[in-house]
Amino acid sequence: MGSAARRDGRTAIQLRPLACTRGLLNRAHGSARWSQENTCVLAAVYGPKSISGRRENPERATIEVIWKPKSGMTGNKEKEAELVLRRSLDYIIIATLHPNTGMSIIVQVISDDGALLACAINATTAALVDTGIPLSGLIAAVSCGINKEGDLLLDLTKSEEQEAQAHVCLVFPNRPLSMKVETSIKSDDEPVEHGLVTSVTCGAMSVDDYLSCLDLGRAASLKISEFSRTSLEQSQRAVELVTPT
Amino acid sequence: MEVDEKQQTPLPFTGEAQLSPLVSQIVAPGDIVLDLTTVSKTLRLGSGLRQDGGSITVMKAGRLRYSKPNKLWVEGSQRRYIPNIEDVVIGIVVDRRFENFTIDINAPTYGILPVLAFEGATRRNIPNIQVGAAIYTRVVKAHRDINPELCCTDASGKSSGYGPLKGGYIFDCSTGLARALLSRPTCPVLEALGKSLSFEIAVGLNGKVWVNGSTPETIILVSNAITNAEFLTPAQQHIMVQKLLQNIQ
Repeated sequence: MGSAARRDGRTAIQLRPLACTRGLLNRAHGSARWSQENTCVLAAVYGPKSISGRRENPERATIEVIWKPKSGMTGNKEKEAELVLRRSLDYIIIATLHPNTGMSIIVQVISDDGALLACAINATTAALVDTGIPLSGLIAAVSCGINKEGDLLLDLTKSEEQEAQAHVCLVFPNRPLSMKVETSIKSDDEPVEHGLVTSVTCGAMSVDDYLSCLDLGRAASLKISEFSRTSLEQSQRAVELVTPT
Repeated sequence: MEVDEKQQTPLPFTGEAQLSPLVSQIVAPGDIVLDLTTVSKTLRLGSGLRQDGGSITVMKAGRLRYSKPNKLWVEGSQRRYIPNIEDVVIGIVVDRRFENFTIDINAPTYGILPVLAFEGATRRNIPNIQVGAAIYTRVVKAHRDINPELCCTDASGKSSGYGPLKGGYIFDCSTGLARALLSRPTCPVLEALGKSLSFEIAVGLNGKVWVNGSTPETIILVSNAITNAEFLTPAQQHIMVQKLLQNIQ
């Protein structure tokens, strides 16, 4: 790891401060705003709701993602982001519980200072939890990259992304609280968080570098899921204040 | 065995061993609350939980609740309503067909209310309900593949409060707030309002509240008080209601 501090004073593997607000939009069925210092994304979820006959699927809900950039027309970059987001969320949404319905996820970029896709995935996961759509688990996204000197960096800012040799957005499943009794020898199940849901690379890096990025990203995703859990508990506690228990 | 090490608050004393250490804790989607190999009895799973092979997993965020002898569920609060049997809901008529009314109950699909599902309704004497009317009704059939079916009589055929709601004002709230408004003992905000104002209220578990009063000021005050009460403790609710009442005196 390089010893030179980054432009904003962080170490190579330090994440930017995270902030998450849930349930902030009045009309959406669920919403969340996730910011990683200067990168901020607002996600709104509508659904499950009825949709027109042509798009109806009698076995599962139809999920659509709409990505709105901060300014300018939507183009191919936005379509690619929508596709990546939809595929990642397909992993956690239990769509078979609401057949013949549709779910719309709208992502609005508020500010972009690097790690935009990761921020958007974190925001939409929080928004889905806020809506109450049945999920099989949670995911956490982190961006990782290699700069020209060959150092591994975590959570790149926009300038670092532009100067990097390569950067990748990695999405890992969260580690859940588990009451499962570990059966000793027979389980060859690796812990859930050892899986990888999505990986989107920009630029070329060597295989060894990529594997190091995976390890780094996995450790960082644990911190992100811890933060997400704390934020979830706080928002749930706020909701329960109404009745004296 | 991975145990929740963050558990700081003591669990309420039940006199018997808890089914799972996560009961009365806030759980997130993906949490495994129970390993079925450790349990020998039949469990009834409520909303927010599903069986995933040999374990019970959480689907929705909320607080895990357990009621003896065998009911386990997650209590969360959403803006969207998922229909369950025997829930009372407030719906708005969207369409009128020969056999059914189509009702919007804030759920993924519209509800169906048979034209004859009213007290004393026969083919010659069907209720005169127009599109746009509000109806207080209960859910009799709810399954993920069908439109929920509603009914405006109770099990014995009497109307007992169900039926169209005349006048008044309907506003939205979350399902958690609706449950709190319907629970016993009376919700603090309703108690505080009831001491000084007289009004009629109907609460649907689908997140809709109907309020009627003698003057528009009463209706607006009651609906504002209920909407504001969502994130307040009981003491704060009393203070908030007093402040609102001062404004109209």
